Parts: sequence; structure tokens; C-alpha cells
Amino acid sequence: MSKEELIEKVNTTLAEEFETDIEKITPEANIKKTLELDSLSLVDMIALIDNEFGVKIANTDLPKIQTFEALYDYLVENMK
Amino acid sequence: MRAVFTDSELFELIPQRPPIVMVDSLDNVTDEGAETGLLISDANLFVQDGQFREPGLIEHIAQSAAAFAGYKGYARGEEPKLGYIGELKRFSFYARPSVGSRLHTTLHVLGEAGGITLLAAETRCGNDIVAEGQMKIFLKDD
Repeated sequence: MSKEELIEKVNTTLAEEFETDIEKITPEANIKKTLELDSLSLVDMIALIDNEFGVKIANTDLPKIQTFEALYDYLVENMK
Repeated sequence: MRAVFTDSELFELIPQRPPIVMVDSLDNVTDEGAETGLLISDANLFVQDGQFREPGLIEHIAQSAAAFAGYKGYARGEEPKLGYIGELKRFSFYARPSVGSRLHTTLHVLGEAGGITLLAAETRCGNDIVAEGQMKIFLKDD
């Protein structure tokens, strides 16, 4: 999967799951604000990423993943 | 990682005490999940008219998750922590187990973030699934 394909799949998956307008998902946008995640729903995103992309986001890595660009990069680095 | 804790040994893992204890065995533990059990007795608080009711199934699954988390803490020398149910998702109940039957519950960790764990749970009675769904558990730090 190319990075462009990955980005499209990430955006589509998250927009659908969290009922967000996909046009609001831009590389520099803040994930929590855009998807309106609270402490309870954040874990849903973690589980969704694991299920769809096979990547477990470690608790210690979470603070580094504030934007969608950071998420894309994290997935590229950690996908098998 | 494998473990077997039964009956009062579980008090090392969970903060609940009789008569509210709703898990009597921790049959298996891995990094990804756990298996637990409960024999439904006539004296169980959640038994009515010989059937184990839905709130009891939820409490059983929650305490199974507590035992799983407690085991991981036990391995680190920690005391059991109070846990709270944050959310139930996609939960279904298919049957009310009868007194004398034994529950077997399988937990699988779907995700963890900020002290909250999302678990998939499936509870069987014999070969039949009696409840399944997802539960978010929050463990209170001291």
C-alpha cells in the first residue's frame, strides 16, 4: 500500500467510524478535535487502527500523535 | 504467561468481596486477554427465579476484566485497583443461565489508552453464547 493509499484508507475509516466530514481530515488537523474524541472514545480509535492496519499504538507514543500527519507517519513506520 | 487462580485466591486480584464476587476462577491469562469462570449458585445476588440476570452477566464480565488487570498488577507486586465500567458497546444477551450452570468468559484486549481498556468479551454456558460485547474499563490509580 502506498502512502497515498494509506492516507485515503485512514481518512475514510476514521470519518466513517466517528461520523466526521472527511474534508475536515487534513494532515495538519488535530485528531482529537477533528474527530471529537474524549478519553473514552480515544481508545476506540486505538482499537480501530489496530484492527484495520495491524498497528498497536503504544501508550507512550500517544502524546506524539497529535495530528493526522503524525498518525500517517506512525503507521508507515510501524506497519508490517 | 499462564495462571490459575480460584475462589478466595482471586481476592489477591480483585477488590470485590462476598457476596458481590462474580468470578470464581481465572483460568488462563495472556498478554492479549484472559479466560474466567463462575458457577451460578442459588445464593447469587443476581439470581432471580432460578436464572442469572443480565446485570449479573455484566458484573461477571467486569470482574473478569478486573481479575485480568489484577493479575498483571499482582505480577508487579501491586494491590488490586478499583475499576469502573466506562461504556458497554454492541452488547447482546442471548440467555439467562440457570442455577448450577457454569459460565466461561473469554476476554480480548482491543485497545488501551489513558488508563482505559477496551475489551471484547464472550460468555458461554456450555456450548452456548449467553452474552457478548465490548466493555470499557477504567482502573482507578491510588
